[in-house]
Amino acid sequence: MKKYAYYLGCTIPFRESNYDLSTRKVMDNLDVELVDLEGAGCCGLYYEQINELTHLAMSARVISMAESLGLDLMVLCNGCNGSLVKARNKLVENSELRDKVNEILADIDREFRGTSEIKHVIRILYEDIGIDEIKKTVKNPLNVKVAAHYGCHLLKPSEQIKFDDPREPKSLDELIEVTGAKSVDYFDKNLCCGGFVLGADKDIAYNMTGQKLQNVKDVGADLMITACPFCHVMYDANQRAIENELQKKFGIPVLHYPQLLGLAMGFNARDLALEQNRVRVNPGIFDS
Amino acid sequence: MNLKEKILADPEGKSLVNCFSCGMCTGGCPVARISDYNPRRIIHKVMLNMEPEDIWLCANCYTCEERCPTKTNVADLINLIRRITIKKDGMPEFIKPLVENLKTTGYTVQIGELENKRRERMNLPAVETTDEIKKIIQKTTLK
Ligand code: SF4
Ligand code: SF4
Repeated sequence: MKKYAYYLGCTIPFRESNYDLSTRKVMDNLDVELVDLEGAGCCGLYYEQINELTHLAMSARVISMAESLGLDLMVLCNGCNGSLVKARNKLVENSELRDKVNEILADIDREFRGTSEIKHVIRILYEDIGIDEIKKTVKNPLNVKVAAHYGCHLLKPSEQIKFDDPREPKSLDELIEVTGAKSVDYFDKNLCCGGFVLGADKDIAYNMTGQKLQNVKDVGADLMITACPFCHVMYDANQRAIENELQKKFGIPVLHYPQLLGLAMGFNARDLALEQNRVRVNPGIFDS
Repeated sequence: MNLKEKILADPEGKSLVNCFSCGMCTGGCPVARISDYNPRRIIHKVMLNMEPEDIWLCANCYTCEERCPTKTNVADLINLIRRITIKKDGMPEFIKPLVENLKTTGYTVQIGELENKRRERMNLPAVETTDEIKKIIQKTTLK
């Protein structure tokens, strides 16, 4: 049985608990055990722009929680993924920095050793579990047209993350297709959601989010699939506000990938908290 | 030290000198496409000892780093420029609440009862606050 330390970050428990719930459901169904990290706190992402040492210490702290369990760390958020992987690489490569960080962590009785890997849930599904195993759990093949949104820090910077191909990624598309759904091609598929500039310039952020929603609408996709809670906030929770801002109508339901997989596994909409998605999802569209 | 010297003195900043101003980064930048923002110009201005503009508009998508023919770490350099700027001028307003939340809860957001009640209804474990982040922030930002 596979087992991971399970890390939620900040966005999921506060705004996207349906991502959490659906991930637990599908992992259980795949015989994967998840160990919760109590009081796990933030990965330190924002401190990449404020203070490097704080960022490294915050990331190292989260990683050390997985290390003390002797487990690899499963993350669900692209932001956490980038922040933790980059910090881990730096600390593994640079012993001086590692000592400095461990001096800080000593105060809270923690230590970074570099023994646990950071893995995004999409990577775990694709590499550790694999399409063939997932296929065996699909009981209710879905008949929908889906637009995949990978987001940025699942793949980039590729020199650090080392997963899939950032220019022509295929992992999420294959994970979508194993559910029976069709993963459609669309213009500017690798475009960023813009979430990271939301604080500094809402117009720019909404414009970026809106461009992609339009591209997804243009190819007639039934729904969009994300792999990051913050991308999901941008496309789903903020979709109405973006429609108002840009004077456009999108009406695109956006699901977290495990919600899609869960439906294909035979879970019902309620099991996956589909009612919490802001843009209404009509469960009827999944019937084949 | 000026901005350029500070960047070059930082191990994260070494790739600044790689840039030959080809503009590939700006060509693929999703923010440059819809605004006056221009990552090539940011790097160029730093090289010329000028003050770069719009440093808070980068979406940190890393498209530029994937495209750059000289392996200039554009997005990481912009993060470094932000750190140096904050050290000099303080934090921009939109970051302050995040930092306050981190100190009080350990998360970038406030824990409301609402969320944990919802999580309880969903049979999900409650989110526990932590003061460890506050300790880390205090210890790492001491002068
Ligand atoms: S950072 Fe790279 S892509 Fe951008 S102008 Fe310089 S060399 Fe060209
Ligand atoms: S990381 Fe920033 S500068 Fe680079 S392409 Fe993305 S938005 Fe533009």
